[in-house]
Amino acid sequence: MNATMETHTTNDVSPGNTPRLLVQSLAKTYGSGPKAVEVIEDLTFSVHAGELVCIVGPSGVGKTTLLKCLAGLQPSSGGTMAIDGRKVSGPPAEMALVFQDYSRSLMPWLTVEKNLQLPLRHLRLPAREMRSRVEDALGEVGLSHAAKRYPWQLSGGMQQRAAIARALAYRPEILIMDEPFASVDAQTRFELEDLCLKIRDELGMTILLVTHDIDEAVYLSDRIVAIGHKPARVLEVMDVVLPSPRNQIDTRALPEFSAQRTKVLSLIRQAQA
Amino acid sequence: MKRHAFNLALAVATPLLLVVVWYGTSSSSTNAFFPPLRQILSRFADLWLFEHFTSDILPSLGNLVVGFVSAVVLGVALGFVLATVPLLRAMFEPSLHLLRGIPPVALVPILITLVGFGNEMRISSIMIAAVFPTMIATIDGIRAVDSGLKDVCTVYQLSKRDRLLSVYLPSAGPQIAAGMQVSLLVAFIVMIASEMMGTAQGIGAMTLLAQQTFMAADMWAGILLLGLIGFLSNLLFDLIKNRVLSWYIGSKKMEKVS
Amino acid sequence: MNPSSSALASRPENEAPERRRARDYDSPVARIALRAAGAGILLACWQLTAVNGVFGPGLPTLGATGGKLATLMGDPGFWIATAQTIWLAVLGLAISLVAGVLLGMLIGTIESVFYATRAVTEFLKPIPPIVVLPLCVMIWGPTNTMALVLVMIGTVLSTTIQVIAGVNDTDPVAMNTARSFGMGRMERLWRITLPSAASYIGTSVRIGAPAALIIVVVAGLLGGAPGLGSAIYRAQAAGDYPGVYALVLVLGVLGLAAQNLTAAIERRVLHWHPAFRKVEK
Repeated sequence: MNATMETHTTNDVSPGNTPRLLVQSLAKTYGSGPKAVEVIEDLTFSVHAGELVCIVGPSGVGKTTLLKCLAGLQPSSGGTMAIDGRKVSGPPAEMALVFQDYSRSLMPWLTVEKNLQLPLRHLRLPAREMRSRVEDALGEVGLSHAAKRYPWQLSGGMQQRAAIARALAYRPEILIMDEPFASVDAQTRFELEDLCLKIRDELGMTILLVTHDIDEAVYLSDRIVAIGHKPARVLEVMDVVLPSPRNQIDTRALPEFSAQRTKVLSLIRQAQA
Repeated sequence: MKRHAFNLALAVATPLLLVVVWYGTSSSSTNAFFPPLRQILSRFADLWLFEHFTSDILPSLGNLVVGFVSAVVLGVALGFVLATVPLLRAMFEPSLHLLRGIPPVALVPILITLVGFGNEMRISSIMIAAVFPTMIATIDGIRAVDSGLKDVCTVYQLSKRDRLLSVYLPSAGPQIAAGMQVSLLVAFIVMIASEMMGTAQGIGAMTLLAQQTFMAADMWAGILLLGLIGFLSNLLFDLIKNRVLSWYIGSKKMEKVS
Repeated sequence: MNPSSSALASRPENEAPERRRARDYDSPVARIALRAAGAGILLACWQLTAVNGVFGPGLPTLGATGGKLATLMGDPGFWIATAQTIWLAVLGLAISLVAGVLLGMLIGTIESVFYATRAVTEFLKPIPPIVVLPLCVMIWGPTNTMALVLVMIGTVLSTTIQVIAGVNDTDPVAMNTARSFGMGRMERLWRITLPSAASYIGTSVRIGAPAALIIVVVAGLLGGAPGLGSAIYRAQAAGDYPGVYALVLVLGVLGLAAQNLTAAIERRVLHWHPAFRKVEK
């Protein structure tokens, strides 16, 4: 991992520091004049280095629009975004995105390995470095054996692992995930959630994950940013205090877990009513 | 299993049977249009295997290959530019559709008026006629590149070159290949047509000459040769295509299974 | 639908920065202006080349071609040739279509026939009708019949292959549903198989219409059959170069019309098919 990431572990997150990602008053309106549709009114939140933050909101609240603005796929209509205190405009090089639909984000004509190499090419890395990054990333997600296979020869869960590995090999400052587990079955979903926690713990990666699944958000997050209303705004930012390491059976059985999820759920319900 | 073997036998036996029946029933034919197959085959060997191989077959095939290859290169290049520059597309696409509507063979008399009856005319007719299917398929293919893949390009900040060579072209590959296959057929048609209009050289010219002089067996030999070239060139193209697009064929198979 | 996704659906050009620029060319006025500008540039190139005399008399000026086009419009012979060309293409295609549907249903529904004919159709598929043009001219001479036969030869196989594919694509669930209602073999063929193959038949018409037109022109140009093809041949042989260009332009318009017309008919007739349904987002 690169130097910045090695210095951070999950423990040295102190809220007083400059956040890794700071989003202030982000707004998005489609079109103009009487036909304008305001999707995001005002979103402000921050993600600190090594944190895993989930943005939770009901379907259709504008989560995907938010991500597209963050990733520079769409211009925002207002507000600012800063990475480590530096303002960013356009697609930030420090970011990698894992899309919901793995079948549309992996190139079907490239093997898994080549898919991982593609974004690395313009970084002009030495061949050895490139190879080791790809190998490391595949090892991290448990796909070393599938390097030479094509994405469509793999199961859905394995394809999403490959997409995550592609993001890891890129060594971003921030990993953004858009409903990354929405297209896989429940069992695979648990596996991928744990993979996510493992990446955060082992690599100290900063992760911003968007989901509509409240259980998933509670299980994964250090903090939850609940958004709601139309147009979207932040309902509440809450810390999730659950013992570490988390695991699918025990963590989900804790009373704190259900208390937390009840809180988020009622918050979102209220906003919808 | 037994049924499968029966079907396979049927698939192999029927064409053989047809040839045998043709050979048998035509053996004593005196019909001016349908000479005995034996005679056609012997004329085929006489004409094409030795005498006219270098003087007619090679030039014909050379024109076909040169015309087709340059049409494909030009078609993909132009199609790519038109698909990626919205201003050019808005300006020239309607005109292109009008040009595409012109029957390819009608370009032959135009090219004759421009450059005469020489080899340049044949190659340029083949090229101009064959450029359209590939170009239009390229435009459509690149426009249809999945928005998910485009997002990946933006997020990972791929260079222009990587976008073109590693994402856009492979993604449009299946469609471009389909366009190229049509281009190949058009090139073959125009090759024959360019030889049938006012020249004495080439397979098409010889076949038409045989018809005009009522040499039925020679004409059939020409038809046989042209048919074989049409079939084999398409077969060759299929083989190469299946090689290059193996990822596509594989992924389609997976889609069907699931 | 929620506001965010409906906004996305109604404004897809917002999805990627490169697409947003396309919007500037999307207003009707801009579209027409740009098309006119594009056509104007192409025509100007033509005119400049012609005036400079790069190709000598072989490339007539716009004025000469336009004048010839105007003369043709007033010439009954031209209209007869055009009508003949269209009629031969339409008639040939119609016969092919009927024959192709019958053959395709026969081959597609009976397995042994399918296998028996497979090698022959696969061999003949990539061979264009121009290959047998000398034979047809030898038998029928430079006549309408020759052109008609050539159109039929050129379009019947592709229609048949499309119909076979359509028959094979019949949904087994639909078939079993029909069987459970006690439909007989012929009734199933008529009520299930044929509609299932409809989109494939549509495709074969859309491909076949321009092809039929091209074949009629080829039959005229190379085989002397009456119609626009032989008109071009005569103009070229007589050194009437503006005439060649005018006629070729007419063919371009006809070809474009054939493509658009068949596509429109296909959309109309097959409005229920998934490929043509208007998706409500």
